[in-house]
Amino acid sequence: MKTILSIGLLLMLAACGGGGGGKSGGDAAAPACTYSASVEVDVTDSNAHPTDAEASRFLHQASFGPSSASITALKKGSFPTWLARQMEQPQVSHLDCVKMEQARLGAVDQTHFLQSFWGQAITGRDQLRQRVTFALSQILVVSFEGVLSEDVRSVASYYDMLGKNAFGNYRNLLQDVSMHPAMGAYLSHLRNQKENSSGRVPDENYAREVMQLFSIGLYQLNNDGTLKLDGNGKPIETYTNADVSGLAKVFTGFSHGGADTTNNRFWGSVRDPNYNVIPMQGYPQYHSVSAKTFLGVTIPASGTATTANIASELKTALDTLFNHPNVGPFIGKQLIQRLVKSNPSAAYVNRVATAFNTGYTALAPTIGSGQRGDMRATIAAILLDAEARPASLPSNEGKLREPVVRLANWARAFDVASSTGLWRIGNTDSTTNSLGQSAMRSPSVFNYYRPGYVPPNTQTATLGMVSPEMQITHETSVAGYLNYMQSTVQNGVGPTVSGARENRTNYVNELAVADDSTALINRVDLLLTRGAMKALTRTSIKNAVDAVAIPTGSTSSASSAANLARQRRVWLTVFLTMASPDYLVQK
Amino acid sequence: MTPTRLSRRECLKRLGALSALGSAAPFALNLAGLGAASAQSAPADYRAIVCLFMFGGNDHHNMIMPYDQTAYDTYAAARGGARSVGGIAYDRAQLTATKFSPLTPQAIGSEFAFCPSMAALHSLYGAGKLAVLPNIGPLITPTTRTTFNAGSVPLPPKLFSHNDQQSVWQAFASEGVKLGWGGRMGDLLASSNSQSIFTAISASGNAVFLAGQSIFQYQVGTSGATAINGITGSSMFGLSGTANTAAKQALTELSTDSINASTLAVEADHADVVERSVGAQSTVTAALASVPTSTSGITLPTNLANNRLAQQLQVVARLIGARATTGAKRQVFFVSIGGFDTHDNEITTLEDNANGALGLHGQVSRCMDYFYNATVALGIQNNVTLFTASDFGRTLTSNGDGSDHGWGAHHFVLGGAVKGGDMYGTMPDVRLHTTANPNLQDSGSGRLIPTTSVDSLAVTLARWFGVSGSDFGLIAPNIANFTNDLGFMS
Repeated sequence: MKTILSIGLLLMLAACGGGGGGKSGGDAAAPACTYSASVEVDVTDSNAHPTDAEASRFLHQASFGPSSASITALKKGSFPTWLARQMEQPQVSHLDCVKMEQARLGAVDQTHFLQSFWGQAITGRDQLRQRVTFALSQILVVSFEGVLSEDVRSVASYYDMLGKNAFGNYRNLLQDVSMHPAMGAYLSHLRNQKENSSGRVPDENYAREVMQLFSIGLYQLNNDGTLKLDGNGKPIETYTNADVSGLAKVFTGFSHGGADTTNNRFWGSVRDPNYNVIPMQGYPQYHSVSAKTFLGVTIPASGTATTANIASELKTALDTLFNHPNVGPFIGKQLIQRLVKSNPSAAYVNRVATAFNTGYTALAPTIGSGQRGDMRATIAAILLDAEARPASLPSNEGKLREPVVRLANWARAFDVASSTGLWRIGNTDSTTNSLGQSAMRSPSVFNYYRPGYVPPNTQTATLGMVSPEMQITHETSVAGYLNYMQSTVQNGVGPTVSGARENRTNYVNELAVADDSTALINRVDLLLTRGAMKALTRTSIKNAVDAVAIPTGSTSSASSAANLARQRRVWLTVFLTMASPDYLVQK
Repeated sequence: MTPTRLSRRECLKRLGALSALGSAAPFALNLAGLGAASAQSAPADYRAIVCLFMFGGNDHHNMIMPYDQTAYDTYAAARGGARSVGGIAYDRAQLTATKFSPLTPQAIGSEFAFCPSMAALHSLYGAGKLAVLPNIGPLITPTTRTTFNAGSVPLPPKLFSHNDQQSVWQAFASEGVKLGWGGRMGDLLASSNSQSIFTAISASGNAVFLAGQSIFQYQVGTSGATAINGITGSSMFGLSGTANTAAKQALTELSTDSINASTLAVEADHADVVERSVGAQSTVTAALASVPTSTSGITLPTNLANNRLAQQLQVVARLIGARATTGAKRQVFFVSIGGFDTHDNEITTLEDNANGALGLHGQVSRCMDYFYNATVALGIQNNVTLFTASDFGRTLTSNGDGSDHGWGAHHFVLGGAVKGGDMYGTMPDVRLHTTANPNLQDSGSGRLIPTTSVDSLAVTLARWFGVSGSDFGLIAPNIANFTNDLGFMS
């Protein structure tokens, strides 16, 4: 059997820019991107330390899932220290990884971004950034589906931009999102022209969605995320169509960045080598000079447009959005839904929104800048809140795990390694034989699921609750997921390299305890269900595992049969756990 | 009440639905009969309704156009001119081959045209199988520019917002609504079916259109039902004998939660989906095997072989053809195609190009043509009615190479029972409102205020489907304010 190099060794061999890896055969000689070091971040402190189970639960919310090593490391410290150390970890650029593949192969496509995505999600030392960036990518959506299908560098750069701002300020995030050429192309304010005398009007796409989806939402909110009501008990709309049309004029005259603002550059016949990566810029000749009224603000008409007043109008627009009281509860609640639970209480939303508004949380006083929009304080408030880790579970707890996160959970829990370092897991869109979800491949700007999705005719609906991830859960997808995981748990995932799937695990630690089904289940329980597996679930799995007898005897054939039996016990334990409601709903 | 699996099962038992439930039988197959709220005057024959949803907001202004010179000129001017002069309107000469004259007179002219990519629909219109519904959309009560601006009438929620208007079209309320009008029709008529799970079927992911109170929508893949290998396969992980049996039992009882381990609502909800998946799979597989893709008239033409909408319509046609196996008498289906949010690149997105690549309008037209002919091949065309829907129409104004979110839009109804070859409703003025020359259906930028309500479409179809008059209000909440028969069904 082929030996799988440890992740750490592989990364040493295949450091970024460091030339070839040391493997023989297949693609192993390829330079691979360095995703991170395999060593865990040291979070040792003198605070009270979490238990194994508490650490596991926290890491399911704050990372792409726990591994034995990450639980061990976290137990030497505390959650606030872990957050602080994580926020210091340097970012690894997906764009650089894509460029390395481009240099190696000559051409790249979406799968090369996905390689980098999976490599970082599974092995990245900056796990908090990984998980928060993935959450942001589902709120501030651009997608390979559509005009960006060929533009892997632009999408990789966009994802990097989200990662850079994940621990920054939401105002900067809003700026960078609005000016990123991937967003410009995706929501069509790239090359959006001012109105003219023949009846042409500005494209309203970005103006509408930046309000509806990226900042304030449709209805005025209280700080706890509940709807403000008017005198008749009706919700109050945050904007009208006139506001959309007014704001749309601000988003005119933008096209790719570069050395000048000529017409040719605006239209793309002249372009910077990094045109699809660098921020867009204003082109005065295409920018509306008429008065622009939105959300109670009026930017007066100007005689002529200049790059300076284009920038100043953009600042006015984004400041207006950013300072709207909806942003904290609107964005804060969605981040809670991506990381912790689908139906946070109003009090929880209120606490998180307040951390957003003030840039401060008493749960981690040294995290956060004291500025409105501080992402560090917001993230700390979400993950350290008492509601993120209740001792018992009322009926409204938890969230259905996102399919992409499920695969990452498996890979991290069982120390999956990529034999080539390339992590060619690829597109996982298929509902019939894969996850029904891929990073950065949402069908529209509304993501794979909506934060307010109510699955029809369910107990969730009866209770008046939402379950976003149920929107992509149906009779086909559940079968596709189980089939994909059955194969993956046994064989790994990705292309076959030297007779084995590229990304796989030998379950060394699980095999070591496989003779004792209780010990085996305990181990998997800690990693996948945070040590909270229900008795009924445990009994069901134990019955199946115990039915696989481990042959005794000292002959080599008996020994080989025993090893196979142990493997089967491990596969069963992992797969059955991942098929159970205990695992599928994070809580 | 704490949500548990027990509560659901007790509920079923109370309703007497559990009597036939063996340990392996999925409950959803035994729900037939729960939905019959009142006695329906349903005809005995088979009937199916298919919703074809165009996600993104179809630019209807470039789907059905005025052809009379004066009206055409007005249309072209409002869209920045014809494309030969840089606008987004069609050139009039492009429309000659697909023009038509509706039987019912229209105030703005006597001749109209399908866009050139929809030649197949033009033919179906000519053959009397396709009807045009001009300027249809969500309304609470009849509305004009005057009452819209004055705020003197109630309006549908969250106009111009994609996700919400998708929901309003399908379910008469914004995102988060629990019941769609397809699902409501299914609730009322599922008792005609021997297995209620085959009442409301999506070939395109979850759709609120199909959400019912007692029926569950069933999602079918374009190649049929996906079996769970660990449950239906011969061996899990190479196991055999009792170990294999134990493994399969564990997978079944965990994933469907027949052991009632769930303590949270969403745990139980997910397990219910798995349970339906397992329960329906063998029936669907057998049903589809009886109408293979090689069946004459069912095989996709070459240029649609890889088309996702065509594949969805193919599996719908096969399920209709296999109605004897599924025991279905009344079915509501949902299929969809995306990409219609043409803020940009409108012409290249919608229109077939000279190299033979199909635009979205060309795909819709050819797929509908394929589907109608498939129902003819199955001999069931008079019992199947397809209608189109979309988030909203779009602005009449151009933003240079596209258009923006609107409201009312033109749509189609297709089938052997449709009184085709005519336009049902009022074709609005295709021009922008000005003070000097008012257009009372323009809410601004040519975002049309609908003159036909989605309620009227829903009830016209529901009546044909066999829903009794006393239940029309359950199908369409605002129907009292609008006509309950648009007249396009025979």
